[in-house]
Amino acid sequence: MAAPPAPNLTPQIARPPSDNPTSPFFRWQRHFAPYLFVAPFLILFALFGLWPIVKSLMLAFHATNGPKSQVYVGVNNFRFLLRDHDFYTAVWNTSVYAFFSVFLQLPLSLGLALLLNQKWLKGRNLFRLAFFSPNLVGQVFVGILFSVLFTPQYGLINQVLHALIGIPLDTKWLSNPALVMPALIISSLWIYVGFNMVYFLAALQSVDRELYEAATVDGANGWHQFLAVTVPGIRPVSVFVLVTATIGSFQLFDLPYILLNNSAGPDNAGLTVVMYLYNNGFVTGDLGYASAIGWTLALGMMVISLVQLRLSGVWKGKGQAE
Amino acid sequence: MRYFPYGKAAFSVLVLAILSGLWLAAHPAPRKTATLTIWTFAKPHYQAYQLAIPAFEAAHPGVKVDIQLVANVAAAQRLQAAFWSDLDVPDLVEVEISNAGSFFRGPLRDVGFSDLTARVNKAHLLERMVAARFAPYTKQGHIFGLPHDVHPTQIAYRRDLFAQAGVDPEKIKTWDDFIQLGHKLTIPNRRYLMEMNDNDTSHFEPALFQRGGGYFDPQGNCTMDNETAVQTMLWYVPLVAGPNKIGNNLGGGQILTRAVEDGYFYCLVAPDWRTKSIEQDIPRMSGKMALMPFPAVMPGGPRTSTWGGTMLGITKHCKNQDLAWELAMHLYLDKAQLAERFRGTNIIPALREAWEQPAFHEPRPYWSGLPLGETYARLAPQVPAQYASPFIFTAKAKMSAALVACVQRYNSDGPKDFEPFVRARLKQSADEVRVLIQRNPY
Repeated sequence: MAAPPAPNLTPQIARPPSDNPTSPFFRWQRHFAPYLFVAPFLILFALFGLWPIVKSLMLAFHATNGPKSQVYVGVNNFRFLLRDHDFYTAVWNTSVYAFFSVFLQLPLSLGLALLLNQKWLKGRNLFRLAFFSPNLVGQVFVGILFSVLFTPQYGLINQVLHALIGIPLDTKWLSNPALVMPALIISSLWIYVGFNMVYFLAALQSVDRELYEAATVDGANGWHQFLAVTVPGIRPVSVFVLVTATIGSFQLFDLPYILLNNSAGPDNAGLTVVMYLYNNGFVTGDLGYASAIGWTLALGMMVISLVQLRLSGVWKGKGQAE
Repeated sequence: MRYFPYGKAAFSVLVLAILSGLWLAAHPAPRKTATLTIWTFAKPHYQAYQLAIPAFEAAHPGVKVDIQLVANVAAAQRLQAAFWSDLDVPDLVEVEISNAGSFFRGPLRDVGFSDLTARVNKAHLLERMVAARFAPYTKQGHIFGLPHDVHPTQIAYRRDLFAQAGVDPEKIKTWDDFIQLGHKLTIPNRRYLMEMNDNDTSHFEPALFQRGGGYFDPQGNCTMDNETAVQTMLWYVPLVAGPNKIGNNLGGGQILTRAVEDGYFYCLVAPDWRTKSIEQDIPRMSGKMALMPFPAVMPGGPRTSTWGGTMLGITKHCKNQDLAWELAMHLYLDKAQLAERFRGTNIIPALREAWEQPAFHEPRPYWSGLPLGETYARLAPQVPAQYASPFIFTAKAKMSAALVACVQRYNSDGPKDFEPFVRARLKQSADEVRVLIQRNPY
């Protein structure tokens, strides 16, 4: 006796009439519609993303007077870059800023996140908003604000520091090459500590509470719990924040440009790589050299990001999981 | 979603795209109806031209002039981009002096401005205007811009504080006299004779120009380490560094207002344009301020220098060059209009004939009754020339770096071996500029 046909367990999805290949139009649109949907993005990306990238690579091998006049110079732009004192100044300044962004800003962000993650703290939401809000106003506003705060003689920062530790009232934060970078870092802390705190806070809240309970049962104190539970728990987010903060630091432009009154500051103390690129490309009109700077920055950023990912063990962890 | 198989989200996107496309098609960008478009970066110029343009339009029936105010930094970048892309290029444009050189990069045929040399010669403008003011807008003997102004410098001082201290400004003839006074009046960290910058060249430049120095010579060679520059640096740095400094700087805006009101500064370097800023920003000092000419470097030498400037250029894209030239003449050569504009801006025009207008001889209550225009007009013919280069931006940055290095050195080691240091540091900066010039294949 033949077995009864097995029941069809596949969910029955109601198909629209357009799935019915009776009409040529529907068959045609079924085939081409996905391409049409992605076409706007592809066209715009090719036009405003891909072509400028290709064009900038071509420009990097030319000396230019704007985009119209170009003279092929081979790798001369890159060769000159390697002995360009101003470029090294820009790289040094940007690296110092990036270093402090990573090793000062991120621990502060994590510390704040840990504090605001405590259930006993009253008004946590208000604090979160307060710490995050500087990020809402943007670097230009912060630049203007801090240029006033850092004013010698009458500025609030000098007034306070004079009263507290007796620094001279006419300390010139933005005119003394030695103080420009600290001023930049202080300003950026005000913007970004709260911003990165939000990432850490979200990561902390996703750590399994049962792990803490288990650690407590095992006799781990707060510090041990932080090292053994919290740090591994927030590692993916920490790596993300680390990489984005580093890339963001190397893209620094608006803040020093505004803070130092549309300049690189005294003795180029606030010159960043992107500012140097901008000056070469759009002030002196040498788009070729600016492109060479841009490509060097991009390659440098790629190397740094790869090193960071390697050192943070992200790939190793992924391999183990697999 | 019966007839649309890709879901509601995709359908919504499609509908939005179609609707926004239709909206854009129904609202195209308004067509330009202006015959001439002119950009300026200075609000006082903009306001003055708004008043002047109706007369030009009335004299040229059917002509419409569109004047646009564009912020200085944005104006330079937008103009550069407009030249590069051949899009949205204005017919006439005012360019700030420190940006002008960057538009002269490349061969003459690549300069985006029309060559005005023949028109300038035909109208005898080199004789009628202050000839030195054409220099920054000239490349290889070709004039690409008309000077809007002369910007002679004087010293604005607190007349009441000078009177209290028993200082007679009439007796200050040379910088030596002025420095001597500075040592008498300056109280470190509390009161300085003059606002002087120790970290950029804004106040160093007038001193350099007064001595006949500059960044470049007329041929475009970098001269920022010549003997004049060395001597100017050797003179300037001890005024802003070390224990006997007589100058300091705090910043602009409200800070400067307070510093002048508090008597932190007795004096400010005052080109004509800055007197208007001082009037507006420090109104409480009305009647307490006065002006005196720059002290001379040597007895009998020029009593002024220059700070800032603006040119008006006609772009090559302008389809009606003759009409644009007529507009330029209307804005820059109409004496009655220039006189009225002076009342609003305090800026001495480059046209010498205009200085005879009554407006330039009116006493100004803010400046203790001084005839402001007359005091500047008297100095205007002595204003030194400065020369353009596409590398002016870099040169200024390098000179600022040299100044900062010299100030630091003087603060740490004083005058010991200072001169060789200054020579070497200026040479380093100048050589860096020369390397860039040599790299330029144009």
